[in-house]
Amino acid sequence: MSPVPPLEERIEALLRTAVGSEWHATLSELYDRYRTQERLLERITRISDLFQQAERDRGRSYAEKLERKVRQIEKIVRISDRYQSMLHDLNERLTNISTHDELTGLPNRRFMQEKLQYEIARMERHGTRFSIALADIDHFKRINDSAGHACGDAVLQQLAECLRSNLREYDSCARWGGEEFLLLFPDCDQEQAARLAERMRLAVRQLAPAQIPGSLYPTISLGVTEYSPSKGLDQALREADLALYRAKAEGRDRVVTYREEKAPDTPAGNTLP
Amino acid sequence: MKNLQIQRTNSSPSIDADWDSGIIRMQGDSYPENSFELFQPLIDWVDTYLREAKRPLLLDLELLYLNTSSIRAMMDIFDMLEEAHGQGQSVAARWSYDAANERVGQLADEFKEDCSFPFTIHDKNLS
Repeated sequence: MSPVPPLEERIEALLRTAVGSEWHATLSELYDRYRTQERLLERITRISDLFQQAERDRGRSYAEKLERKVRQIEKIVRISDRYQSMLHDLNERLTNISTHDELTGLPNRRFMQEKLQYEIARMERHGTRFSIALADIDHFKRINDSAGHACGDAVLQQLAECLRSNLREYDSCARWGGEEFLLLFPDCDQEQAARLAERMRLAVRQLAPAQIPGSLYPTISLGVTEYSPSKGLDQALREADLALYRAKAEGRDRVVTYREEKAPDTPAGNTLP
Repeated sequence: MKNLQIQRTNSSPSIDADWDSGIIRMQGDSYPENSFELFQPLIDWVDTYLREAKRPLLLDLELLYLNTSSIRAMMDIFDMLEEAHGQGQSVAARWSYDAANERVGQLADEFKEDCSFPFTIHDKNLS
């Protein structure tokens, strides 16, 4: 059996054969109307498709724009974070510069003064104690004069390293002045501090001469005292200074502990070279 | 169009946009209280220049610290340059930094990342 031809073809075939009959004019009119409707429907569909496509494109461009914005914000955040961390590091470096001595790397006088205030506050709150020792390099002027300032600097650096490496965990050592170092011994009375100071003195003596340029044997003298709220910080520093003065006067390379009854009649605040 | 000149302050960079030479120079730190106020005139200037001058534009930068809204403004300006570049205009950026502060150079590199126009980053002591 041959397949039935499509409806349109069958109608068109009919219209070709029976020209002139009454139903021919009616069918012909109906068929024309049908063809017009069909063309209209196609057009509407095509327009509708175009609109849909345009909407889809618009949605995609919004998504792309949004994605671009998100990427931009991510980049801003990333760069901003890096600027912040740069500032943070710079701040740390500046803090370090302002609290440490450039030559020896030890805390400087300002840092130590804060540390002393902290210890005093801790003492008031918790009833702790602390002692201090003022250390001075013996005959430093002679080292500088005979071997030159570069050598003097090297001696300062080496002694600073020696003092630092012999500290206990909670002790501090600062470069207090030219060739002066201030040591802070928390939770120590005068006798304990004197023993620690003696350890420092011996450590310096044990520095091999080869480690010092020009084969010099530097020594240090130390004056020790314990802080008490009744005397105050200035007085404690004066006492350490007086004890150091006596250590120098008694021949250097030694530790002297401050004793009130023996306070010598030397001008306060002076140290021997 | 006139030249644009903004004096440097503690918190904002100097901005010098020269119409005849087509060079914009910016130097200093940028963390202004109102970054819109600072950057909008520059953004307008760049927009006008790119539309009207039809000549090359060079962005010559020596910026140190930028806060977040300044970073955003600079990225907007780079985007404008990128668009102009895409349309065949001649644009370029040059970011100078001090080798002592190497991270400023690395940050310039971050800005450069999405730019396809000529963008050089160099140690100012070597030029």
